[in-house]
Amino acid sequence: MIGISLKAVATAFPETVQPNDFFGMEGSRPQGGMFRGSEYRHHMDPGQSAVDLICEATQKIQEQVGGDLASEIDIILTNVSLPDLPFTGCGAEVAKELGAKPMWVYDLHSQGCVSFISMMSLAQSLMTTSSARKALICNVQTTAGRIFSDEQIRKLPQSAVPGDGCGVALLEVGDERPVEHIVTQCFSENASDMEIATQDGRDWWLPGKTQFFVNFSREKVAAVVARGNRLVPEVVHQACTEAGIGTDQIGTLITNQPNQIFLRNWREALQVSESQHVDTFSEHGNLFGAGMPVCIERAEQEGKLKGDSYLVLGGFSHAGDYAAAAIIRCKAAA
Amino acid sequence: MSSYVPELSSIEGLKRIEEFDRDQMAGLCLEETHAVYPHQQIYGKYCTIEEYINCPPEDVFQYLADGRSLEEWTWSTRDFVPTDEPGLMMGWDRLADDTKIYCRTISNADAMTVDYHCAWDQGEHLWMIYLMRVVPAQLVLGKPGSVVLWSNCHHPNYDENPYPWSVPEGRDTWVGQLWHFFYAGHVVEMQNLKKILEHRHATGQTIRPWNKSAGSESEKTMTFQ
Repeated sequence: MIGISLKAVATAFPETVQPNDFFGMEGSRPQGGMFRGSEYRHHMDPGQSAVDLICEATQKIQEQVGGDLASEIDIILTNVSLPDLPFTGCGAEVAKELGAKPMWVYDLHSQGCVSFISMMSLAQSLMTTSSARKALICNVQTTAGRIFSDEQIRKLPQSAVPGDGCGVALLEVGDERPVEHIVTQCFSENASDMEIATQDGRDWWLPGKTQFFVNFSREKVAAVVARGNRLVPEVVHQACTEAGIGTDQIGTLITNQPNQIFLRNWREALQVSESQHVDTFSEHGNLFGAGMPVCIERAEQEGKLKGDSYLVLGGFSHAGDYAAAAIIRCKAAA
Repeated sequence: MSSYVPELSSIEGLKRIEEFDRDQMAGLCLEETHAVYPHQQIYGKYCTIEEYINCPPEDVFQYLADGRSLEEWTWSTRDFVPTDEPGLMMGWDRLADDTKIYCRTISNADAMTVDYHCAWDQGEHLWMIYLMRVVPAQLVLGKPGSVVLWSNCHHPNYDENPYPWSVPEGRDTWVGQLWHFFYAGHVVEMQNLKKILEHRHATGQTIRPWNKSAGSESEKTMTFQ
């Protein structure tokens, strides 16, 4: 595999911010458990597109790296939780808005909360087997505003958890901030455990009067908690072992951000301190796939990514169908 | 029964579905479920281990209830002999030099519990208590064999020996210094127990070979189906 680097990261968010009292039934606002620590989350506005957010974040990357980024992008990969348009994905539209002429555009439908890592891996493969040198990987979470703001759906306890936002990363061939190792796993036995439900029982694509939503019964929550608790420490351990480092060498840990209980459990399992583990849940909610790049930007802003330290990414998606981890080495300035 | 409920409501801190609903319980369970637990939290006050043994529960119970079996399946207790006091045995714990161990085995065939009341050095106060219970695996795992549960509690005497006069000269080790290793040590001994009993059961040997008069027939007087 050709060596790739995480060159730059930037984010963009919808303007609308919803506080906790937007959700739940009157007199029973979300609190404790999976809602612990939640305060705010952004919601996609009507008419706002994932393309808008990707382009806004990419502009910030352009400002960071200089040059003419659009003309140098060889690969655009996107993962948007609920796409702007079915069928097409948004990668080509992003290229159009940026004025880029990429040789590869893929809109990934799967991998959810670990899709940032999966897209890094895919970009590395494409760069290894082609002349591509630079890739934009774009995560956008859109379901909070598009599904969970519905006036009926937002009464459900889980509706306060998702938050919308976008993270874009620029990867390039080189070893400035090298991606040392990536592990991706698929657990097909968990593939059928996430359900889209409707209040009237119709298929979600059929016309109806009520919004569809992601369903979590209490039984499912218990199973997913057990899986998440186990999968993420395991995949991070594996990535560290295969990269030749101990988990005690984790400088900064970034995981997906499903809730603060998972975050606590993962850092306890990996013996990483709270200050080393980036947590954006209280202000952004669960950003799904966008959580990792958003947290990387946060870690940069807080000066966590010091020279000669390891940034370790890890997470699981959906109900445990995928898990992934990545080891990125932050080098001291030359 | 429901007439007792109002009385319960005066007890602070109870969490019962009447006042603590499903959502609250679900939230609490999520909060209290960690991915890992520190060793001290799990094994600091109590040390409980468990194992499946592919040997009939009545045989496992008979074997454990006969204190002489300790010489086989424990790592270090040997050479037990009866003392003047009925039911009290004295042996040697080779874990440390010149260390006597006293043991009284108290069992209950109906409940299939076997408790070893033990102490190092002196036999007057047996405070090291090994609580064991044999459960028919057919009942709890849906297959033949036994589940053995084994618990110890962290008695304050583990932290400070109240009988210093009984310590043999020159011995620096106190059993309580090893409490932190009880989990590991007991797992070793549980595996010994499992291997011995599974071997004898699989090969059709008598479970207690030292018990020439009894034989396997008397060991199979109880059935658990």
